[in-house]
Amino acid sequence: MTELRLIGGTALAEPAPVELEAATPLRLPPGRHGIPADLVRAHQRLRLLDAAATALAEQGYGRITAARVTELAGVSSRTFYQHFEDLWACLLAAYESEAARLCEEIEAVCAASVEEPGPIVEADRRDRARAGIAAALGFLAAEPNVARLLSAEPPPQIAALSAARRDLVERLGTLLRGVLADPDGPTPLPGLERRLIGAGLAMVASRAADGDPRRLHELEPELTELLLTSL
Amino acid sequence: MEGVLAACGELGFREASVRAILERSGGHRAQFYQHFESKEDCFAQAYAVWIERLSVSLLEAAATVQGWEAGVREAIVRLFQFVTARPAIARALFVEVQIAGEPALARHDAVIERLAAAIDSARAEIEPAEAPPEATGTFVVGGVESCVCEALSAGDPDRLWDALPELMHFAAGSYYGKEEAEGAFERASIVLARERERLTGAEEGAEG
Repeated sequence: MTELRLIGGTALAEPAPVELEAATPLRLPPGRHGIPADLVRAHQRLRLLDAAATALAEQGYGRITAARVTELAGVSSRTFYQHFEDLWACLLAAYESEAARLCEEIEAVCAASVEEPGPIVEADRRDRARAGIAAALGFLAAEPNVARLLSAEPPPQIAALSAARRDLVERLGTLLRGVLADPDGPTPLPGLERRLIGAGLAMVASRAADGDPRRLHELEPELTELLLTSL
Repeated sequence: MEGVLAACGELGFREASVRAILERSGGHRAQFYQHFESKEDCFAQAYAVWIERLSVSLLEAAATVQGWEAGVREAIVRLFQFVTARPAIARALFVEVQIAGEPALARHDAVIERLAAAIDSARAEIEPAEAPPEATGTFVVGGVESCVCEALSAGDPDRLWDALPELMHFAAGSYYGKEEAEGAFERASIVLARERERLTGAEEGAEG
């Protein structure tokens, strides 16, 4: 999850900066510690978002509860409701933050692979698309809970969460089209990328549900070929 | 058995109580717990029966015509007919199953594999050097499924029909590449126009 660094102020007993790597968010020391309140809050929020993904991987959308998220985050129920109105608001925040990270990762990789001078030809476009897809799958394989969160179909009754998933499909589709689009070529079929991304996410969901990240890694060459064949 | 799917399709798996299920299927709470351990168990059993029926029906539809492309198209048409005729049941089978968790999901994966194996018969017509990835069948079935889920989640199953040409482009393209995909798109557009005529004809017939 997002990295958070706490730099110790003068009120800290230890003058050295306190660094917190939020990959597995730690609990801050309880009681009076002089860490500024807004940093404590930001850290609690990160822990809750991380816990939401973990709880979802554990329990699925059918059984997940705010109580389990709270427990995994190591905060009180009161703290949970200070941050989020309900379970769905917490899951939505987790979804949106991870979806943004995934897209930024892909964008960064695709942008990095076009810096060479000269005209962009078909082969360059395909290489860029390959790099982007590999980056996306690498990101998901490194964090299976996040892979599960982003790929699973949420309950349609939770409209905001369903919309967030649709937005992600749309955004990934736009990225794929943007990378592959030939400005002089025919306009590709509208909606085809959405189908391809939908199919790709279904495969990620089924493999992420196994809980074995290696299975996600294995997907990379095949999925790259499948995503590129019909475009 | 249909009661649990109707209740979950209408209210959502999380919100559907045993009481809501019994309101739709009849019977008493005590009887319910004689037959099923829990709501999950009841859903999984009903799911197994209905998904079996649906997948057999899709495979039969595919077998009524000659050739891979026509077979896939007929199966998708049959699927769309089912979804638009029984949207609540379809919501349970396609969307709520993702929420219901194991053991319904295990059955779901088995059905996907079976349909994927059927679609993979396309491979017989392709030169080994040109063979698509092993996972192509699963990929294509997943694409069709995600399209159905999208329409059902958006509460607009009728919109599904518009996706027929696009889905055929996607399915044929995944196996045979771009050129075949464009042909499949054109042919599916013709079938779509025919289906639309049939649908409006049936509506007018019902009114008149």
